[in-house]
Amino acid sequence: MKRKHLKEFLAIRGMGQVISVTVAMLVMVLVFGVINPSFFSGENTTNLLRQVVPILIVGIGQSFVMITGGIDLSIGSVAGMSSMISATLMTAGRMDPWMASLITLVACCAVGLLNGLLVSITKLPAFIATLGTMIIARGIAQLANGNMNTDGIPAEAEAFKNLFYYGDTFGLYNPIWIGIFLFLVFAFVLGKTCTGRHTYAIGSNYEAAKLSGVNVVLAETKVYVFSAFLAGVVGLMLTAQSGMGTMNAGMSYELNAVAASVIGGVSTMGGQGLLFGTVIGSFIWGVLNNGLQFAGAPLALRNLVIGVVVIISVLIDRIARSGKLSLFKKRPPR
Amino acid sequence: MYLIELSGISKSFPGVKALDDVQFNLKAGEVHALLGENGAGKSTLMKIISGIYHRDSGSYRLDGNELEELTPKTAQELGIAIIHQELNMCTDLTVAENMFLGRESHLHGLIKQKEMNRQAKAVLDELKIDIDPTTVVKTLPVSKQQMVEIAKALSTKARILIMDEPTSALTEREIVELFRIIRDLKQQGCAIVYISHRLDELKEITDRVSIFRDGRYVATRNFSETTLDEIIAMMIGREIKEKFPHMSVAKGAKLMGVSNLCSGIVKNVSFELFAGEIIGLSGLMGAGRTELVRAIFGAEPIEDGQISLDGEVISIRHPLDAIRHGIVLGPEDRKKQGLCTELSIRENVGLANLDRVCNRWGVVRSGVEKELTGRAIKDLRIKTPSGEQTAKNLSGGNQQKVVLGKWLVRDAKIVIFDEPTRGIDVASKVEIYNIMNELKTKGIGVLFVSSEMPEVMGMSDRILVMCNGRITGNLISKETTQDEILRCATQFTVQ
Repeated sequence: MKRKHLKEFLAIRGMGQVISVTVAMLVMVLVFGVINPSFFSGENTTNLLRQVVPILIVGIGQSFVMITGGIDLSIGSVAGMSSMISATLMTAGRMDPWMASLITLVACCAVGLLNGLLVSITKLPAFIATLGTMIIARGIAQLANGNMNTDGIPAEAEAFKNLFYYGDTFGLYNPIWIGIFLFLVFAFVLGKTCTGRHTYAIGSNYEAAKLSGVNVVLAETKVYVFSAFLAGVVGLMLTAQSGMGTMNAGMSYELNAVAASVIGGVSTMGGQGLLFGTVIGSFIWGVLNNGLQFAGAPLALRNLVIGVVVIISVLIDRIARSGKLSLFKKRPPR
Repeated sequence: MYLIELSGISKSFPGVKALDDVQFNLKAGEVHALLGENGAGKSTLMKIISGIYHRDSGSYRLDGNELEELTPKTAQELGIAIIHQELNMCTDLTVAENMFLGRESHLHGLIKQKEMNRQAKAVLDELKIDIDPTTVVKTLPVSKQQMVEIAKALSTKARILIMDEPTSALTEREIVELFRIIRDLKQQGCAIVYISHRLDELKEITDRVSIFRDGRYVATRNFSETTLDEIIAMMIGREIKEKFPHMSVAKGAKLMGVSNLCSGIVKNVSFELFAGEIIGLSGLMGAGRTELVRAIFGAEPIEDGQISLDGEVISIRHPLDAIRHGIVLGPEDRKKQGLCTELSIRENVGLANLDRVCNRWGVVRSGVEKELTGRAIKDLRIKTPSGEQTAKNLSGGNQQKVVLGKWLVRDAKIVIFDEPTRGIDVASKVEIYNIMNELKTKGIGVLFVSSEMPEVMGMSDRILVMCNGRITGNLISKETTQDEILRCATQFTVQ
């Protein structure tokens, strides 16, 4: 009876993978700590957390999209667009930073809405639809300030900079609190609400969800809006961090987000995944980057290691599911 | 007064008139069987009743009120539930989550999971189905998933329940269970529309039958006042003389020997197959029949044991090995495993014969490909305008013939069929049987898996019965009975 419960628990939307990557992350933290004890220093820990937050936030959005069986390639460009629009409004537009942020997030959500409608109504493959908007959003980022990075954002934006990057509350940097807050909100949405349930349902079996009376168009559109909104928030963080808008901001974040999701057990086929896994996934990304840096590894080596980890974690997931590694086994049907 | 009254219903899809001026009516508390060959329009009609399709013309009355626009959701609210032919579940979700999908009980969007689990449990209990509502659906066997589908439909408090081939994935024992549920529902005044290709099971439950042919309405009868022969004649528009055209052919030399084969759940299976012999593999769902034939074909790893062909031990580690030795398999699920449905008949036939079709530089010789395709179409009487037709546009029976055709143009020694007649109509079934007989006269050994007892008994010379991965019966078809087969099939009690 006990074994049965354990088996059921492990069958829940990729729980097994979440557990194994959590263990892997703890082991990694220990190893890096042994190699270089200053890895555990308070300064490094808070820095590490602050580095991880942007990947975590875009990872949450990407996880939502991937659970529906899609992918959002426009995340990095939307973050860049967010950075450029907000900074341009603050500098050339002389706008109040909070107003600028609000307008920026609305613009980002509009890109998400476009993504969502292209996928849910016109039935374009997500890969193609978001590839198109990825290029468009990068184009908007370049157009925003006449194909130039912006000047430094004005001094009135100090509070903005503090909220999104430099300030701290109760000993933690504010962006970390933002990350925690967004994680809690979206984990709640995914786990406890109808929206979340429908997200899993359309990724698991679109036709069944539709025939069960789920508003599939709405459910599918929503996740792309979530994803673009979260990318927009990250764009604001990038503006706060560099104190200006850069046209290349957020480059390749969409793929880091895929990596964080996949390492954390979100299925590329849809229907499976937990946001807690994505948190761990983005931490593995961050710990590897930061830890290897501390251990003195060059950037090229870091990339190499992260790439290998992505592949291994998906392999582990596949083996865990079938119970063995078999090269000629049929792929699970889409 | 009828619960549902349809008249003059027509529905066209691009290039096809699926329904042409059709009528249908349903009374409360009856089981109404809907019969017809594939493509007769039964499923289309049911999809119109349940709001998935919109009719082009005609009138649809529910409780005497004319219905205009209907969506799956409003149909559900009006008490109409449908169980589709192919299982339609979000297999990553739990039983309860599936049952209440799209109509979750919630407070401002916040799901009340405990409440839903409790309600799901109540529905399952009422149907005496022993499944925990928190189980993730993909961990359940197919037959239990089917039961969950039924529970899901009933949890909507349906007054009208449409079942499209509900028994195609169930074992005999589960069918008995399903019929019990159907009788209970009938007692409670629920009206049931029942679509099935298994005519023999109708007598258990049916009150009335309506027959369709080629998108047209043929007739409605009280079941007690008609005969199966009359029904079949109405379905196909002519009489079929022999349902199972069994043929005796003198048994030839020993073709294949399997000894102590183990693979996954298959344990120590040994048998021999002779030239010109048809062996039927019978057993309950999950007995290991499909696994056995897949192992022989090299699609599952062989862990232990030997296979010999013409007296020589051969090694089969991959389907390619099996094909080279002249062993071919028409798999269980023709759409997923048997065909590339987006490709044409020619490309599908070519794919299985690329070794002959390609020249030595690996370039496809389209002349050879066309010739092979032409042969397959002619030999198997595949109904298609040309070999360029996309496989997905063919009817089920014709798709199955393409699956067989792509192998039969090779000179195979052993042909394995896995559920060759599942979900295809009576006339196509007979054509498949005739193909099996032709193979037999050519001295080919045939092994076929089937869950339909009459078919196994009617077509095979010998029946191997499997249970829990072992062979529990080796019976001569002429001398055995349905009871004996069932006894062998349930030899080991499943825990």
